[in-house]
Amino acid sequence: MSFDFLQPDSLSGALEALAAYGDEAKVLAGGTAVVLMLQQRLIAPAALINIERVPDLNYINLKPEGMHIGPLTKLRDIERSTAIQEHCPLLSQTCGEVANVRIRNQATLGGNLAEADYASDPPTTLLALEAQVTTTSVRGTRCLALQDFHIGFFTTTLEPDELITDIFIPACPLESRMTYLKYKSRSSEDRPCTGVAALAAFDGKTCTELRLAVGAACEVPQRLPNIENMAKGQTLNDELVGEIAAGYAESIETLEDIRGSAWYRTQMIRTHVQRVLEDVRNGHR
Amino acid sequence: MAIGKSIPMLDSVARVTGTVPYASNLKLPDMLVGKVFRSNVPHARITKLDVSAAEQVPGVVAIVTATDFSGEGPPNLHFGSTYQDQPIVAADRIRFIGEPVALIAAESTAIAEQAIDLIELEYEELPAVFDAEEATQPGAPQLHGAFPNNVLRHSKLRHGDIEAGFAAAVKIIEEVFNSPAAQQVSLETQVAVAQWKDNKLTVWTGSQSPYTVRRVLAAIFDLDLEDVRVIVPPLGGGFGAKGNIRTQPLAAALAWKVGDRPVKLVLTRAEEFFTVTKHAAKIVMKSGVRRDGTFTARKITIFWNGGAYASSSAHLVPAGMLRAIGPYRIPAVRVDSYGIYTNLPIAGAYRGAMSSQGVFAHESHMDTIAHQLGIDPLTIRKKNLLHTDDTFATGEQLHDIHFVRCLESAADGLGWHEPFQRENGTAKKRGRGVAIMMKNTIANSSSECRITLDAAGRVTLFISTVEMGQGGHTAMAQIAAEALGIPVEAVSVQGPDTAKTPPDTQTASSRNTQMMGNAVLDGAASLRRQLAEAAAPIIEWLPEELSVADGYVFVTSQPQERIVYAEVLRRNNITALTANGKFSTNVGKLDSETGQGISTPDWHQGAGACEVEVDTQTGKVTVLRYHSSSFAGLVINPMLAGLQNDGNVIFGLGASLLEEIAIDAGQITNPNLSDYMIPSFLDIPVELKNVSLEAEGSSFHGIGEMTLPPVAPAIANAVYDAVGVRIRDLPLTAEKVLRTIEEQNDHAR
Repeated sequence: MSFDFLQPDSLSGALEALAAYGDEAKVLAGGTAVVLMLQQRLIAPAALINIERVPDLNYINLKPEGMHIGPLTKLRDIERSTAIQEHCPLLSQTCGEVANVRIRNQATLGGNLAEADYASDPPTTLLALEAQVTTTSVRGTRCLALQDFHIGFFTTTLEPDELITDIFIPACPLESRMTYLKYKSRSSEDRPCTGVAALAAFDGKTCTELRLAVGAACEVPQRLPNIENMAKGQTLNDELVGEIAAGYAESIETLEDIRGSAWYRTQMIRTHVQRVLEDVRNGHR
Repeated sequence: MAIGKSIPMLDSVARVTGTVPYASNLKLPDMLVGKVFRSNVPHARITKLDVSAAEQVPGVVAIVTATDFSGEGPPNLHFGSTYQDQPIVAADRIRFIGEPVALIAAESTAIAEQAIDLIELEYEELPAVFDAEEATQPGAPQLHGAFPNNVLRHSKLRHGDIEAGFAAAVKIIEEVFNSPAAQQVSLETQVAVAQWKDNKLTVWTGSQSPYTVRRVLAAIFDLDLEDVRVIVPPLGGGFGAKGNIRTQPLAAALAWKVGDRPVKLVLTRAEEFFTVTKHAAKIVMKSGVRRDGTFTARKITIFWNGGAYASSSAHLVPAGMLRAIGPYRIPAVRVDSYGIYTNLPIAGAYRGAMSSQGVFAHESHMDTIAHQLGIDPLTIRKKNLLHTDDTFATGEQLHDIHFVRCLESAADGLGWHEPFQRENGTAKKRGRGVAIMMKNTIANSSSECRITLDAAGRVTLFISTVEMGQGGHTAMAQIAAEALGIPVEAVSVQGPDTAKTPPDTQTASSRNTQMMGNAVLDGAASLRRQLAEAAAPIIEWLPEELSVADGYVFVTSQPQERIVYAEVLRRNNITALTANGKFSTNVGKLDSETGQGISTPDWHQGAGACEVEVDTQTGKVTVLRYHSSSFAGLVINPMLAGLQNDGNVIFGLGASLLEEIAIDAGQITNPNLSDYMIPSFLDIPVELKNVSLEAEGSSFHGIGEMTLPPVAPAIANAVYDAVGVRIRDLPLTAEKVLRTIEEQNDHAR
């Protein structure tokens, strides 16, 4: 195994290197995924472009319209950021659920999104948060909604010459309650078997908006707007919660891996959608 | 007093600060890297192996293939501690995926991997068999010509009149239990560094059996035993995986071909899975019982999946036969224990070798019997447990038996008889379970030690006991300190080096504390005699009038007349006193047709009791509380004994709930610690407690493995208690539990 190892110290340098190598290159950020893949010989890139020295890609900027997070921001920093804990607790909670502290100290949010591993926590929550991904190449800049970025099993619309340069999370609706429920079918440090992120806004007991994303049980995180809308203007009573849970379980095509069969994933979607809705109904922030 | 003291492991600081000189970290001048080219088909005839392109890679120093063994004389291609059926590299036949086919020694790992990619292997695939029972059926692919129907060993036990026993039963209950292959997952992977000089071989390796490694390497290269030196630094875990010959012949063969430079072979995590696993086992258990819950008969059939070569299966199959019976009074017992060759990686010892599978079967079975008869699981066990002077199924009379105390202390710790909250209106239900184990140890084995005392008063203990994290060296230092009446700080331990430390059978089967411990007592007694004899002329009394204790030789009748050890040596102008100690057991062997005879010098006894919570909507089992107990006889170091008991339970959680090697057509699909799941610290029960039982007048017993085998059945029994489903196949994954609950619900509808 041999490859060119590049360490650009500017964004333009990184983009030029990416343009030169195209899909022969792999970007190295935190390395928690790419290094494993190299070791297991799952990938054999001609070049490894380490972007750690590229400045200005590691930030958390709070703006009135929302939160900008730099792609090189470590998951551990997002977990511990008081700004994110205050304005978007769902994201800090979710990042705090990933693997263990050692991984979170190393893994970056941009790397997590670019890898598009279905068995991951942040993408599900970012879908519920309606996150947008900005990508940049020597050709220019694009801004994509997350559902247009993650399009399939380990598949994104990121072009080979593009780098994620910003992740934007629009400000959460006022009076919303949110939570992420990670279900691990095996050890406490395992990846999710199923992850469910919920964000619900209420007027008194009446739900005015529900966003519900399911991940890890399927190839890409999914929201089902038709079913989400069933909650609008309603109180989240047990019957409605059961219907929404059944709707998600029946509509999502689940996958099978070592953490559970497709049948089991369907059951886990039902159970955890129900539990997450009970949580937000009962007052999680 | 050094015995009974909770002192930390002698090398605890080194372990925590990362300065233990593991063999994995060994660097020798001019050392080369060894790598293995492995098969990717489970069963095939090799038609072509071409390493010429690989040999041309700059930095490749040597490549070993079967042709290196084809000449007259040594080295021999095949090796094995009992049967010599395993080739160092496959010759004409491949028998499992991951089998070594060629070995590469190169200047770097990258070069060796580059060379591996250039090796050309062509073969004709043969039909393969992966299931042990299927492998015994007519028409199954045959792995070894000398072993028809792939039976590598069939052990039999015939005790009492089995037909009459079943005829006398009011109820006959038969169940089938399955344990999958699992991996021992030592943090430090298998390693061997080999160096040849003047036709003599030195090997540094992570092994639990230095002297077995020496014997097998000497046989491969046709050397005198003295011309093979095996050095074993502390191990980063063993768990049985390092109890037999693994990487040592490969490293030695590479270094032999290289000639004058050492070669180091360290396995990757994936290679660990191709090198040794726990035996997958299918156990059919049938019992006849009376209405009062006592037994009339038990019949057991076991298929152990040994993988492609015999390795330790050759001697573990009979042990597995004994360990599946259970510590109960059963008048008639019949066991057939079959070790079977299949096209899978080799199976070997797994912490309490062959116990976990059998104990899962007999202890789950015991609860089924209890429920069918309407008897409390603890009560039915106590009613049947063996006592001292009872006769076991081997016909031998039992001694030093404490099963009832073991079981009671675990159950009492949990509060078995106290009410508990089974449910709280959520989907989560709680239940409790108990389990117990009995295990023989190696019947005929021997441990030797050498103890030196120098003129500075320092004692050095030369032992081949392997320190693998269990604290074996610390325990031996405490025993030596106690027996010589000196502080433990004055004792240094020289670990295994066959050029320096005397023979020991192996550090396995929980035998070290008992066997080497007694050898140390023997050596210390001899050293005390020498001290008395050397002191006698100085203080002008006869040796037999002197005592040796607390750092002094003194006159027994006038203790103030005394002299310190170091002074005895100085006054005699002796630089050091040396004493040898030995302890061996030779209890005989079991009859090969009936399994009758004496099987062990002493019995290992342990129990567990737990409370679990089952989420009935996910099937997930959480062990909330676990209490274990083991019979220790005399505890040398309460802290280390407790850690050993708890460590077993944590280790056991893995095989109970999570661990299973996934195999698809002979290919292991989860040979990494992301897909193969071991417990994390967060999975440890919130309440985890243990007891090491002592007995008046008892000496030290091994406690290395006792609290592990009860873990899986205690949990399975607690799951049954919580939600009424009986899982007979390990592990108890969340999905398996949920499916069984749903099947039961469907059945009830």
